[in-house]
Amino acid sequence: MRTFLLVIGATAIAASAAYAHHSYAATYDITREIKLEGKLVQFVLRNPHSFVHMEAPDEHGEIRRWAVEWAGSAQLDAQGVKRESLKVGDQISVTARPSRVTGEYRALMLSLRRPLDGFTWGTRAGETVD
Amino acid sequence: MKRGLLSGGRLPAALLAFTVFASMRGAAQPARPPIPPDIAGEWRLDNNEQDTTAQPPLGDYLGIPFNDAGRMRSDTTAESIWGTPEYQCRPHSAPHQWRGLGGARILKEQDPLTRSVSVYHFQFMRSLDRPVFMDGRPHPPAYAPHTWSGFSTGEWVGNTLKITTTHLKDGYLKRGGPQTSDMLTMTEFITRHDEILTIVTVVDDPIYMDEPYVESTTYTYDTTSTVATETCNASSFAENGGTDRHWVPHFLPGQNTALTEWLKTADWIPVEPTRGGVKTIYPEYRAALTGAVKTADLKVPSSKSANDVARRLAESSPRDGEVHILPVQGNIYMVIADGTNLAVSIGADGILLVDTGTPEMSEKILAAVRQLASSVVANPTANRCFGANCPGKWGWSSPYIGAVISAPAPVRPLRYIINTSAAPERVGGNERIATTGFFPRGSQFGGAVENVGPRASVVAHEEVLNRMSAPAGKTAPMPTASWPTDTYFDEFHKLPEYMNGEAVIVYHAPNATTDGDSFVFFRHSEVIAAGNLFSTVSYPKIEVDKGGTIDGVIGGLNKILDLAVAEYRAQGGTWIIPGRGRLSDTADVAAYRNMLTMIRDRVRDLKRKGMTLAQVKAARPTMDFDGRYALLPGSVSPDAFIEAVYSTVK
Repeated sequence: MRTFLLVIGATAIAASAAYAHHSYAATYDITREIKLEGKLVQFVLRNPHSFVHMEAPDEHGEIRRWAVEWAGSAQLDAQGVKRESLKVGDQISVTARPSRVTGEYRALMLSLRRPLDGFTWGTRAGETVD
Repeated sequence: MKRGLLSGGRLPAALLAFTVFASMRGAAQPARPPIPPDIAGEWRLDNNEQDTTAQPPLGDYLGIPFNDAGRMRSDTTAESIWGTPEYQCRPHSAPHQWRGLGGARILKEQDPLTRSVSVYHFQFMRSLDRPVFMDGRPHPPAYAPHTWSGFSTGEWVGNTLKITTTHLKDGYLKRGGPQTSDMLTMTEFITRHDEILTIVTVVDDPIYMDEPYVESTTYTYDTTSTVATETCNASSFAENGGTDRHWVPHFLPGQNTALTEWLKTADWIPVEPTRGGVKTIYPEYRAALTGAVKTADLKVPSSKSANDVARRLAESSPRDGEVHILPVQGNIYMVIADGTNLAVSIGADGILLVDTGTPEMSEKILAAVRQLASSVVANPTANRCFGANCPGKWGWSSPYIGAVISAPAPVRPLRYIINTSAAPERVGGNERIATTGFFPRGSQFGGAVENVGPRASVVAHEEVLNRMSAPAGKTAPMPTASWPTDTYFDEFHKLPEYMNGEAVIVYHAPNATTDGDSFVFFRHSEVIAAGNLFSTVSYPKIEVDKGGTIDGVIGGLNKILDLAVAEYRAQGGTWIIPGRGRLSDTADVAAYRNMLTMIRDRVRDLKRKGMTLAQVKAARPTMDFDGRYALLPGSVSPDAFIEAVYSTVK
């Protein structure tokens, strides 16, 4: 599973390089994957990239506010993700690439799952951050 | 032609550069052709960011003539810096822009009289419009603001358009790592061969490189090419996570372990040339690769920089015994008095001066401000009414005729002086200059100092008064007539009424360079006078014995950033007048704050590891910034700065 996710991540990095205003490969550690479980506190749907803000524990168990970088609104819209698809307070589970900087609570979205109704993103073809 | 261009895996770019240089050198400054080639139109980028010469892997400095400072700066700068509120909307740095996304649109603006091209406009995806002036105008003075695209002038040299660019902000040479300073200059040579446009870029940044960096980029004429003018709506959102809006992402020296990650799949490349350096980019380096000679012993025919950074820095803070004035915005002007920056508000209510310079400059400051006030306020204005049709005006004739046939009214008086600290260059002219002003005071009411006479109100934090005065019976360090007359003790102080049509708010920056620092916000003009909190030519002079701390300086800068708003794409908007150096905007303050935060964190890390002050100095935690902020004579030395940081961090 881990290998599979790493492959997806690498593909995303290669495809996305032409679009982001910053370099994904330089911003995120593409060799690592983290899992965040917690409450969605803000969903910023916009271009060039959207952000999911969530409160989830760090590696020491302390609750932090994480900014998870997601695809742009146009790409998400084409994949069926709308503004009302996610709600503040939703319990979500995210896999992501962590920041390269120690102490920074940002990450690059690999997958998102909402256990309540089984909503998922990141498991189907094309569901990568461009 | 430099042989070094053929090394470092940059052969195609080097050959293009060779072609252009060779053709230019072959003809000794040919005259401008009668009809220069038309470069206007839509152009498609042929080598873009997918090319690793534009967006290399983290730690790949191949072919870059970095010096130690450039290497350290690039190793310790995190790409996450893009996520900070001040940088989220910035366009690509100028050296990278030609290799950025999408195509290029080149527009031309013609002089209506001569019909010659007066300005070319270059536009890229998510970029700012970049004008290239062809009308022979000079570059602005060194104390004018720097922008993301800089100030460019162009001239035809044969069939090649030569563009010279100065006044650039700091940024990056390529995306994702290699950094540049804000003192770089850029020269571009643009040549059109039928449908191909070749751009040779020479980036001259002696702060971080031992010789200019040269690269070429090609475009193809393409009428279907598009340039997305995407707006930026990012600055309201925290991209870096956490809850600290002042977070500055960076790596401590040695902490960025990913620099050689890419070599795991390119293990045929030795590590040394990936670190850059002028000796690794010339063919002579092959001898070092075989072990025949040590790299340090190599002699290479490196090029000289034509960028005299020391001179340009000195000109941005001229210590010439004169007064220079730069209009800023609204009511506000920047006054440079022998290298010390003051701010002046001029309008119908009179004059407000932020700081008074050294005593030696008082007469020249007064003369310059009076002349400015006379031209701004008392000049005859256009005739907008006549006869009896001038409501609210006395007399039967128009104000215009009244102004022409009689001497203009004297300028309104100096009403306020605001001292941003008790530093000698901030209060030195108080005594002389305050006595030329007038502030109406009720008898026995409202003044911190009684019987001050008809003089301007001098406003400062109360610790400034404490520094300048002394209890009864003791000798004060400064004469009574120079003391502040109206002090405040709170986190901010509003002037009690509008001055020249706007609110003026004095903010306290606790324990910054001293315990009495303030900065002044002109709320309608959108200008902040920062005093000694901010300089573009020196590390801050933190007076620890007077309550100064590094955290206080950073806190003061963060407070400025909380108030200031960029106009568009992280540029312009609220202007910030530094204590010394060029007029600045939010991105410039952020760059200074980032630098101080990085150094504070480095020194704190070393101190927590148990290192003595001498050991920390020897570790050179400021090395990547010393060439920039310790170059100017009279600036704070790295050792003095490190000592102040070391003694005030926990």
